[in-house]
Parts: sequence; C-alpha cells; structure tokens
Amino acid sequence: MSRMGTGIGAAVALAVLVVLALTAPEHLAEGNRELAFARPAALPPFGGDQLGRPLLQYAQQGARVVLGPAIAAAILVGVLSTMGGLVRCVGDRRVESVIQGFSEVLGALPRMVVLLVAALLIPSGERSLLPLALVWAILAAPGAVDEAAAVAERLGGARFVEALRAHGFSRARVFLYHIVLLNLRPVVVRQSSEVLLQVTFLELGLSYLAVQDSQSSFTHSDSLKSWADLLYMGYTSIGLGMPTGHALWLGLGLVAVVTTMAKLTTSMVRAR
Amino acid sequence: MTAWWIRPGVRLLAAFLLPLLVPAIITALIWALPGDPAEIICPPSTCGGTSELAARWNLDAGPVHFFREWVGSALSNDFGRSWRVEQGMPVADLLRESLPLTLKLVGLALVPIVLGVVGAATGLIPARADGVFAAVGLVPALVFSLIGAAAIVVNFGSSAFDAEADRWRLLAGAAVLGIADGAFAAAVSGVRGLVNAERNQRYVSIALLRGERALENMLPNVMPALAGQLRARVLHLLSGAVVVEVVLGLPGVGDLLWAGTLLQDFGVVLAAATAFAAISGGLLVLQAFVEIGVALHVRRAPSLGAA
Repeated sequence: MSRMGTGIGAAVALAVLVVLALTAPEHLAEGNRELAFARPAALPPFGGDQLGRPLLQYAQQGARVVLGPAIAAAILVGVLSTMGGLVRCVGDRRVESVIQGFSEVLGALPRMVVLLVAALLIPSGERSLLPLALVWAILAAPGAVDEAAAVAERLGGARFVEALRAHGFSRARVFLYHIVLLNLRPVVVRQSSEVLLQVTFLELGLSYLAVQDSQSSFTHSDSLKSWADLLYMGYTSIGLGMPTGHALWLGLGLVAVVTTMAKLTTSMVRAR
Repeated sequence: MTAWWIRPGVRLLAAFLLPLLVPAIITALIWALPGDPAEIICPPSTCGGTSELAARWNLDAGPVHFFREWVGSALSNDFGRSWRVEQGMPVADLLRESLPLTLKLVGLALVPIVLGVVGAATGLIPARADGVFAAVGLVPALVFSLIGAAAIVVNFGSSAFDAEADRWRLLAGAAVLGIADGAFAAAVSGVRGLVNAERNQRYVSIALLRGERALENMLPNVMPALAGQLRARVLHLLSGAVVVEVVLGLPGVGDLLWAGTLLQDFGVVLAAATAFAAISGGLLVLQAFVEIGVALHVRRAPSLGAA
C-alpha cells in the first residue's frame, strides 16, 4: 500500500474517532423498553442495549474516554524517544549513563502493576484515564528511548552531527531536520502509535474488569460508558445466551478502527 | 571502553533494589499526594476509624517510619492482614496461595515464546510467517481471554468451575498470554532481527568457510541480547497476567492485585506489587548471570600467539 493510501486510511480512522468523541452526549439517553436489545435494523445504526438505549452513544462516550488520553500518552512517548535519540547524537556519556540507569530500573517494573498502584492512589472522585495513560507512557518510554538511541547510534551519533556541521548546516537544521524528521521519525511515530494502541487496550481491560465485578471504572466517571461495556454486553450473548451479539461486534469493530489507525500511521512513516 | 562487569553489576544492584524501590515509590506517592495518608489509603466514606488504622499501619509517624516498619515486617514474612479482599487473613498466606498459579501460568505461556525464539534463531520459522504472527498479535489479551472464557463456559456448562475446567482455563490463559498483545510475534521478529544482523558479521562468514556452524559461533555474542529480550517478554507476560487471570477466573497474584485495587485493600496491593517486583528482580539476576557467563566464556577463549 502506498504512503498516500495508508495516510488517507489513518486520517479517515482518526476522523471517525474524533467525530464520535466530539459528538458524545454527557449522559445516555432515556431508555425505550420497546427497543430493548434492538438489532441495528430496528435502532440504527448499531442497535440498542437492554434498556433500549442506542449503542451509538456507548461508542461515542467510549471514544471520548479513550481518545484524548491515548493521544496525550502517544505524544509524551514521542517527545521522550526523540529526546533519547538527540541525546545520543549530542554524545554526552554522563547524560547517556544516567538515562540508561533510569531506563533500566523503570523498564524492570511490570507496567500493569505500577498502573494499578497508581489507580489505587487516585481519589475516586477524580478518576480519569489521563493520569493512568501518562504513567503508562512513562513506563513505555525506556523501550522507545532505547530504540531511538539505537537509530541515532547507527547514524553515527555525534560524528554525524559534526560531519553535517562541517558541511555548513546549522545546528537546528541538523537536529530537527536531518536527525528527527529524516531518521528518527519512523521509530518515534511507530512507538507513539503502539502506545496509543496500548492505552486504548488498557482502558478496555481496566473498564472490563471493573464492569465484570460491577464496580466503578478507574478510567472514567460512572456517567460515562466505555467500549468495554459493549464487549461485556456482547459477551453475555455467548455466556448467557442474551440477544446482544450486535454489541460484541460493535465493540470489536471499534477496537479494529483504533488498531487500523495505529498500524496505518506506522506504515505511512516507515523508513524508505 | 567500559569494563565488562559494569552492566551486569548494575543489573544485580537494580535487582536487589527493585523489591525495595516499589514500596518506596508507593510510600513516597502516598505522602506526596495532598491530604492525610490514612484517608488516601482508606477514605472516610468507606472506612471507619481512620485514626486507629493509621496507628495500626504506622501511617501516623511519617513516611520513613512507615517504610522502615513495612520492610522490616515484610523481611520476616509478615505483610499484615487483609482489610477487604479476605478480611483478617494474613496477606502472606494470600500471596502463598496465589503465587504458584501465576508462576505456572507465566511458565506455560513461555513455552510458545521459547519455541518461537528457537524457531526464529534456527530459521525453522520462515520470515514470511512474521506478517501472520504480527496480525494475530494485534488482538488484545482481553479479547482473546473473552474468547477463552466463552469457550470454557460453552464447553463445560454448569461444571465450568470443576478441576478439569480449571486445567483448561490455565491452558487457555497461557495460550492467550503467549500469543496476544504481540508477545509471540515480537519474540520471533526480535530474535530473527538479532540473528540476521549477527549473521552478517565477518567472523560468521569465516566460521562458515572453516566448516563450522553459524549458530554455534554466534550464540555467545547474541546471548546477552537474547537474555534481555526474553526478560522483556517475561515482564510483558507478568503485566498481562492481571487481565488474563481476572477474565478467566484464575486465582493468581494478578487476580489478587486486581481485587486489592478494586476493593482498596492497600496491604494486599503493596504486598502483591512487591511480589511482582521481586520476580522482576529475579529476572534481572538471571540476565546478569547470563551476561557474566558469556563474558567469562569469551575471555576463556584461547588467545592468538604473536605469530
């Protein structure tokens, strides 16, 4: 697939998610018992839940819960990995050693464990995905920094900068254009996309586990619904034989949209 | 040039500090957050007698006192008692009951990963299969776990919680952990990349000309990186174990940690997080030993004379 094609695909997937998030209602609409478990044909476009409320609103609220924090986490990882690559090109051994030691310890922590501890410490009234997403991004950063640093190393590190400076290029141009834009971009964007995907899956996981235990989610207030609610509702169609298979397909479809967006973005910026 | 022992030395140091670091970070966070630590750990809306709890949990004399007391007790295998998950039960007993299942789950999940690593290193798994593995690996552990749980419910019906179903649950959990979230795909592609890069080195070509096998020559050089990749994979499995255990109903440490978090049982969370950190520390020790072993092996090689 061409870069243009993948770029358009990623942009369309992102646009779908942004539109869903921006049009999300504050609260779910009043139910209509006559439309309980309605199929998509009876309550377009996605059908209804057990109270006859449209599943479209679940999709919208889920997008609102996940999109902002996932993008924020992706940006944070992108910035940190770019800095890791640039530090390698500056060639300051002491700074590199400090980063390496820090990465070693941070990278040795099981992410989910740290995340649950963070979730426990967030006051129940202020629950949101954003702090958890940022914690996840920080925990994911060592791998991204390492990879960006390895790319910079392969370029030649400080010698690459020296060589380009000798050709008369300004420091800003060497670092921002030659190193970041031309060489670090594929790695940085791929790592950011992966974290975006991971944060989405993380939200799904945490919310699903909470819904399963009939508890409040750590990632959003009780007035909002997550895509995990769709998966849970849909799962009852298999486990309990409830007529909610359409919710399962919608939940899986939304996961597929995010996955496609992340993968197409990665493909769009792949190294030539 | 940096001395060879620095890297494994740092790992060993990190391994011993990690189980202390986790409770230290949690302690620091509790005191860094605005408000009374006792009320953060157990909000008055859900807990009665916060001052008694503060005294019992050593929360009333500052972070250093709390940390020292907790670590001191933990070293003598006393993690306190559970407040909510299993009220009044010693947390050490809860850990002892749940830890073997998690280790079994992660151990079984490692089987496909190790097979993938061997297959990629030896070339038994062709590179064209990587795309398929990557596509399968895109599916999150939650979705695969749901499929596994559904399959067990459908197949076992009312006897979904007997011993036979438990065995299948464990196997399903291990398969999910070993495949989902790119675990298998990353292991295969990571090792393939590593081995292919090493295969291009001149010494490997020379070894082949001498009639030796490439892998035998490469192994000492790729072993440290391979150990690092495997450690990362196991850490990934430990992280994923939380979701898999809860969805599939496996009573391991991940399930315990989740229950503690959900029910705000601080003692259970602190102990379970420290247990995970201790396992992670153990992995660092293993990696350091591999690095030391390789370094000693390389230095034992016969040196060329001054001919």
